[in-house]
Amino acid sequence: MNWGTTMTEDKDNLDLLFAQAREKRPELPDDLAVRILTDAETVRLERRKPDETKTNPLWTRVLAGLGGWQGMGGLVAASMAGVWIGFSAPAFLPDPANYIYAQDVSFVVADLSLDTSFLEDAE
Amino acid sequence: MEDLTSLPQVVRGAPCAADAIGDDALLKQFADGDAAAARVLTDRLAPRSLSVALRFLGNRAEAEDVTQEAMMRLWQMAPDWVPGQAKVSTWLYRVTLNLCVDLRRKKTPDRLADVPEPEDEEASAAERLQDAARKDALQTALSQLPERQRQAVVLRHIEELPNPEIAGIMGISVEAVESLTARGKRSLTAILAGRRDELGYDDD
Repeated sequence: MNWGTTMTEDKDNLDLLFAQAREKRPELPDDLAVRILTDAETVRLERRKPDETKTNPLWTRVLAGLGGWQGMGGLVAASMAGVWIGFSAPAFLPDPANYIYAQDVSFVVADLSLDTSFLEDAE
Repeated sequence: MEDLTSLPQVVRGAPCAADAIGDDALLKQFADGDAAAARVLTDRLAPRSLSVALRFLGNRAEAEDVTQEAMMRLWQMAPDWVPGQAKVSTWLYRVTLNLCVDLRRKKTPDRLADVPEPEDEEASAAERLQDAARKDALQTALSQLPERQRQAVVLRHIEELPNPEIAGIMGISVEAVESLTARGKRSLTAILAGRRDELGYDDD
């Protein structure tokens, strides 16, 4: 290609350079395609998280955290056993209430009846 | 979790049913959670973004980073896309060029790095320089154009987009596009003609 000596030839040569540039358009390298698709997957998965929160109300997520229905059953059984033991403690177990209230309680009985004897003495 | 990245043959353009679907519909499918739509959109749109970024920046590593970022923004805006308002490709070209401009404004251009390495080790130093300059003549000339002229010329004469679409990408009127491309071509012609001796075309 000779760069032209006239304006028209120069323009033709420029068009030729454009045509060559169009033929040499870059292909997408594999590593760049992988980077782009990894980004797409990250965005796609992040977008799904809020939807899961929407469809699962708070109580179902709390239940799942406690081990589902099976875990919840065990929790209820243990709680009921505790209530029963507290209500009717077996004889071989010491009554914890005694530890709390095990102290001598002396009652001071004050005679609050109206004592009129001093009045009699005065008389 | 489906591994998207292990199927490069799909990315490389293997035909599939999704090829017949428009970019709008594919973007909606992706927003609805369809991973396969991302592969087709990448195959279709990412090479265009890379081509424009490479011609604007003249640096492959930077152009690839810009393309990745532009595609990332595409994935992020997918749920908000309103079909029929504009072409997805127009949106991507605009984002790509804006990223290129931001990058260039942040960093001083390193044009020496843009000249490709000569392949023929037997050639003299002068011949190697001449060869490199010829190969890179258009890129070097493009780099000397003002920003907007460069954008318009690349979109019109390398991407071969119609003027109304370029106007949409650049946010200007069709007349302004015509003016920019005309001035850009005149400038390129002058730059290349001024380098005639350096390019050595008179000797051919």
